[in-house]
Amino acid sequence: MLLYIARRLVWTIVVILVVVLITFVVFFKLPNGDPALRFAGRSPTPESLALIRHRLHLDKPFYIEFGYFAKNFFLGDQNGWPGLGYSYEGSVPVMQEIKQRAPRTLCLIAGAATLWLVFGLAIGVLSAVKRRTIVDRLAMGFALFGISAPVFWLGLMALYIFWKTLHLTGGSGYVAFSQNPGAWFSHLILPWSVLALLYIAIYARLTRGSLLETLGEDYIRTARAKGLSERRVIFRHGLRASLTPIVTQFGLDVALLVGGAVITESVFNLQGLGWLAINSFLTQDLPTVLGVVLLGAAAVAIMNLLVDIAYAFLDPRVRYA
Amino acid sequence: MNRPLRRLALAGAVVLIGAAILVAAGSAGQAKNQIARGGTLNVGWEQSFGFTDNFDPTGEYLGDAFGIMDNLLVRTLVGYNHTPGADGNKIVPDIASSWKISNGGKTYTFHLKSGIKFGPPVNRAVTSKDFVTAFERLAKPADGAEYAFYYSVIKGFDEYGKGKAKTIAGISTPNDSTIVFNLKAPAGDFLYRVSMPATGPQPAEVTKCFEGKAGQYGRDLVSTAGYMIAGMDKVDISSCSALKPASGFDGQTVMDLVRNPNYDQSTDPTRKNYPDEVKFTVDASADDIYNKIEAGQLDLATSSIPPQVLRKYATNSSLKSHFFQNSGDRTWYITMNLTQPPFDDVHVRRAMNWIMDKAALVQGWGGPTIGAVANHIVPDTLFNFKLQGFKPYKTPGDHGSVAKAKAAMKGSKYDTANNGMCSDPKCHGVLLLADTRAVDTKMLPVIEADAKKIGITFTVRTINGAYPTIQTPSKNIPIAERPGWGKDFADPVTFFSPLFDGRTIIPKGNTNYSLVGITPAQCKKLGVTGDCSPYDAKTGLGVPSVDAQLDKCEALVNTEASDARTVCYEGLDRYLSTQVVPWVPYLWSYVTRITSNNVTHYQFDQFSTTPAYSQIAVK
Repeated sequence: MLLYIARRLVWTIVVILVVVLITFVVFFKLPNGDPALRFAGRSPTPESLALIRHRLHLDKPFYIEFGYFAKNFFLGDQNGWPGLGYSYEGSVPVMQEIKQRAPRTLCLIAGAATLWLVFGLAIGVLSAVKRRTIVDRLAMGFALFGISAPVFWLGLMALYIFWKTLHLTGGSGYVAFSQNPGAWFSHLILPWSVLALLYIAIYARLTRGSLLETLGEDYIRTARAKGLSERRVIFRHGLRASLTPIVTQFGLDVALLVGGAVITESVFNLQGLGWLAINSFLTQDLPTVLGVVLLGAAAVAIMNLLVDIAYAFLDPRVRYA
Repeated sequence: MNRPLRRLALAGAVVLIGAAILVAAGSAGQAKNQIARGGTLNVGWEQSFGFTDNFDPTGEYLGDAFGIMDNLLVRTLVGYNHTPGADGNKIVPDIASSWKISNGGKTYTFHLKSGIKFGPPVNRAVTSKDFVTAFERLAKPADGAEYAFYYSVIKGFDEYGKGKAKTIAGISTPNDSTIVFNLKAPAGDFLYRVSMPATGPQPAEVTKCFEGKAGQYGRDLVSTAGYMIAGMDKVDISSCSALKPASGFDGQTVMDLVRNPNYDQSTDPTRKNYPDEVKFTVDASADDIYNKIEAGQLDLATSSIPPQVLRKYATNSSLKSHFFQNSGDRTWYITMNLTQPPFDDVHVRRAMNWIMDKAALVQGWGGPTIGAVANHIVPDTLFNFKLQGFKPYKTPGDHGSVAKAKAAMKGSKYDTANNGMCSDPKCHGVLLLADTRAVDTKMLPVIEADAKKIGITFTVRTINGAYPTIQTPSKNIPIAERPGWGKDFADPVTFFSPLFDGRTIIPKGNTNYSLVGITPAQCKKLGVTGDCSPYDAKTGLGVPSVDAQLDKCEALVNTEASDARTVCYEGLDRYLSTQVVPWVPYLWSYVTRITSNNVTHYQFDQFSTTPAYSQIAVK
């Protein structure tokens, strides 16, 4: 098991480095990719452009830049470890930017993930157990709505109804938990709910399908024949065996949201990592783009590893060579 | 008491009561007219601050940043009234109490007011040497200056910047309250140049820590005006290693400004400084910003206004008192490259001006609420509306005229059939560069359809962020619809020199997109293909130059008795619009702002074309 984890970790680092290298190459090869012009003012002299390029380290070939970057990343720079350099946009360390934004995204994901797991599984189980009843129909109808409704529309409607009209929640924006726990919750409940809705729908359908398949197995019939309670049959035997595809999906969904919840973050003005990624890409802020890409790639790799480990606990049949 | 005395006493009492009532009414009226002080002005900022040099005044060139610096943080030798219109573009004393121009316009002597101090943590009087510090930072490229070119006219400025001199020879400080500038040549707009935020006094004891580190002083900007960055009083300047950024500005999401305790209002008649705090907060979405303005959580915004919000405020009578429109002193235009066919022929360029449906282009931007149809190069406000009647390409409804366009095309070498149509093969499939904003996608069909009426067809190429391409002469882009230009300060020179001076054409970041005045030698050096030969008035081919006219206007100075400088530039606008014709100007955009119910008094600052933050009051 330990050997397996170690091997996976090494490959994870290799994958991350390849992703960063590709990003570097793409950035340098992009058309009109001269960030120096943004900081050069009107009618800059060639000398001032050269100076800005030197300041932004754009005067070196990409492979030398990549070398510096890899060195700072592994050994750290004056701002600590990992060294991600300075943002062109705000002359602030990229690590500082990421540290400022990451809690917003992580809070968003944690809350939404909790909601979609709890409600998704619950609705899926209910729907499977009450198959072909009105409960099942309503649950699947709700799932269809959740999958179909665009996130940006849901978000705007939620803000309009619950904040602007009914004044039940805080508006957009992020309030740190340490600053005001009540306001933190009040500002996050809507983005949690909106982001979770799509996933609740997906997980409900996934749970229903997987559970129905499992409940049709012989061992379930045996369990019932042995006189186990229906609750024990469903939750202890049925659901546990059905969780494998759900765990896989969950790991991937959470990892992808680390840099990808752009729409939710924009609608609710959370300005987390997704928003940072888009904004830095549009402003050609390479160090920040790289920092967020690294973080996203690391998140996917780590979540994959955690999912694989979780399998061992869910399904004892899984062996690791 | 006897009867007469009683009557007298009664009369006296009536008079006294009446007087008291009058006094009370007067006070109430006065109180009603007085603008309340206090409160927090909350300003929403869309997407990101977008500062060009992280708010370091030496290098900061963003117009919205000018509005903050000029109103709230940075005083300069001369300034403005922070009002709209022509009054807001007028130069008035700020730190300088008076000035003298001598030596044929080559020497400017400023006398400083007393009682002006730096805010925390510097806490001392501003002296003439603090202006020298600012100019020295401006001169050194490593400190990130973006408009240092305005000050090359000062003797020794460039030499100091190149490290060839220890001081700027043309700046002297005979005493702490006098500063003298000696120029290489007269510059009629020099007073405007020293109104720019980069020329405001800077304390050397702080800026020395940011030597060569462009953009890092912004988070510790030491104030000389009514406000300071929150937390500046806790910044330790005992050494450079102890110096940390002030807590009130994180560079990314929020800038919090509070009152500067060292500010003396009596030295500053132009800034009213009503609120106790001004807070700028970045918000990811314009829709969210305007929802918050409606809800009173924000008072104002620097963002674009969504069309539905604009419509609502422009048409709803109960909301109109929160809707403000002022001239943006900005022209939006289609630029034509004078070296590339078919626009190397002035007949074609004139025909393009006649054929364009400018009203439809403005409609693409959002209609008359966005701005007025542009009729020539410089917005009328900068000429005090003296060119308001100059509309050389005026057509009914501004919808363009096929007849007039064809008449203008006649005589062109590209009108091979002599029928007023651009029928040469070079008129077909001409590369048109466009951006990807919503307005670009709305304007493109209009431009293509109109040009087709005179035989010109385009191959459209869209780029997200088209400016770097247009700014590179070697790309040889024949025509582009992206550009707009706003003034740096209220002198027409900022609308002419960077845009039409052939000597300032550079390989990257070039702003003379039409390449007016380019020479064959420059073309060879810059990789410009096409016809770079000098202009031939007989054929209308070749590249005209206005360098001589620019030099002539530049040397003139407006006085109380004569506005020769403005008249000279008016003449140049007329010449460019009718004889050179590098553009199709189509829009003079307004600056539109919407305020919340909390705002009790709003004002626009014509210099920075932003809200006049020092003149805005909240509940």
